[in-house]
Amino acid sequence: MPQVTEVVKLRRRVLTEIARLAFEAKLKQDVDSILYTVVTEEGPRYRCCVYKERAVLKERIKLALSQPSDLEINEAVENALRGKIADMPVINIMPVACDQCPIDKFIVTNACRNCLAHHCINSCPKQAIMVVQNRAYIDKNKCVECGMCKKSCPYGAIIEVNRPCESACDLGAIKAGKDRCAEIDYDKCVQCGSCKTACPFGAISDRSAIVQLIQAIKAGKKVYAVLAPAFIGQFGAKVKPSQVVEALKKMGFYAVAEVSLGADIVTLEETKEFTASVPRQRKYMTTSCCPAFVSMIGKHLPAETNSVSTTVSPMIAIGKVVKQREPDAVVVFVGPCTAKKAEAEQYEGIIDYVITFEELACMMVGAGLNMAKINEAVFETSASRDGNSFAKAGGVMQSVMDMVDTVAPGTDIRPQSCEGLQNCMTAIQQIISGKSDINFIEGMACEGGCVGGPGVLTNMKVTGKLVENFSKSAKAITAGENEFAAAEVQSGVHWHRE
Amino acid sequence: MTMLKIEVCVGSACYLLGSQDLIEMIEGLPEDVKANIDLRGSSCLKACGKGPNVKINGELISGVTPDKLMEIIKYNIQRK
Repeated sequence: MPQVTEVVKLRRRVLTEIARLAFEAKLKQDVDSILYTVVTEEGPRYRCCVYKERAVLKERIKLALSQPSDLEINEAVENALRGKIADMPVINIMPVACDQCPIDKFIVTNACRNCLAHHCINSCPKQAIMVVQNRAYIDKNKCVECGMCKKSCPYGAIIEVNRPCESACDLGAIKAGKDRCAEIDYDKCVQCGSCKTACPFGAISDRSAIVQLIQAIKAGKKVYAVLAPAFIGQFGAKVKPSQVVEALKKMGFYAVAEVSLGADIVTLEETKEFTASVPRQRKYMTTSCCPAFVSMIGKHLPAETNSVSTTVSPMIAIGKVVKQREPDAVVVFVGPCTAKKAEAEQYEGIIDYVITFEELACMMVGAGLNMAKINEAVFETSASRDGNSFAKAGGVMQSVMDMVDTVAPGTDIRPQSCEGLQNCMTAIQQIISGKSDINFIEGMACEGGCVGGPGVLTNMKVTGKLVENFSKSAKAITAGENEFAAAEVQSGVHWHRE
Repeated sequence: MTMLKIEVCVGSACYLLGSQDLIEMIEGLPEDVKANIDLRGSSCLKACGKGPNVKINGELISGVTPDKLMEIIKYNIQRK
């Protein structure tokens, strides 16, 4: 199945055009041109008419500028050019783009026998069910999709069909509102971005700070790109890591650092934390590098918050390293993750912007750069093999286990790696209920780990293999063998949550 | 038998618009079909913005989708 659908192309075209206009300092006067270059009169047509498509496009542009939908587009541009990011969630629904999925959530199948009991009719709180042509019939105008009919039918004759966004959300944070338009319950949402990937109408998107970032670059600030270890292979199997680094510098970034160095620091600190606290102070410990996983525990399993490692994530660790060296640096995390945008807000002054690989590639094209044509250079990773493996599910667990074997051999560590929020939730609940004796959990919201994030450009199977090969090129095997990480840990910086 | 020469652009602009999907589609074809295809990657086919771009036997085609490319391959292989 192709990864780059028409919805994905549309989003990327908008981001690319915005980036191009921002680099050329034409965004203010030419923003409306995007409405005509991305959606032309000739098509292709994805919606009922060109007017609807342009109405959706306006919402998409405002989200790409990190501005709320109630602003006029010109005001949104001015705010973005001033560097302002509106106080809004990372993941947003564009109601005008939501198709209100007119699928019938509850469907009466041929298995209905028009029984005499009529449990479905009796259980419906809205009197939405009647018998038509010898079978139960659900009046969609009255149905509130409570599911009582499905539960009550002894034949299982009523089935449930979920909307793609609802099916994708493991935490039940997205539902259809009264007008059937999707609504996010932000008390439950962890900004993982799975609904964004799932929506076939492109009605859900994350806000972007590419214009604010381009303005910082153009202002001549010392902008550091900190690259998440999943960057290997993201821009094409033939684009080498050194070409990505060179392209970033050509685009105006002052310097580039690897988040995998932060991962080594995290491994060292998390190992210390595990050996010191499990089982004396807590029954088990979880990792803390995936912000969606950490947020899930805070919002859905608050009693377990103390089990989450207090060590900061690799993103925050490398942000602290850069800010310690260059306090006036602007630090930009470039990765596969939307939840990192929310995490960065909790650590003000460490990470200034977060962009996805997709947003970076759109910026590159907008700046007129082709990574495939950048000269290759020598590039050696500053992290260990284990630090680079953080990009893949199981990588964090393996890194900590390797360190435990080195610094405290014989420690009773019983690890489990979990991918997907539902699996993470189940694993923790099994520990709570005593069904599992695991005492160290690596939690990753995305299938495959970070290489499967919502902001990636390449199939995770391809990048997973390339990350593995790249990590083998590291001189140090474990975090403990990485002298850079060891020096940073000794530097007196606080590596734990306040 | 002459080979069907397919050059897929893997430059940043085309990659962003799905050129990798085209390569994966070709690589997933049956071996007997692939035997007739000379697949190459190009860093730029000079039609940026209209991608993904593909050159088939020297002819530039823009806005290619996996379905469209499959049709072209079928047409060319059948014609041989």
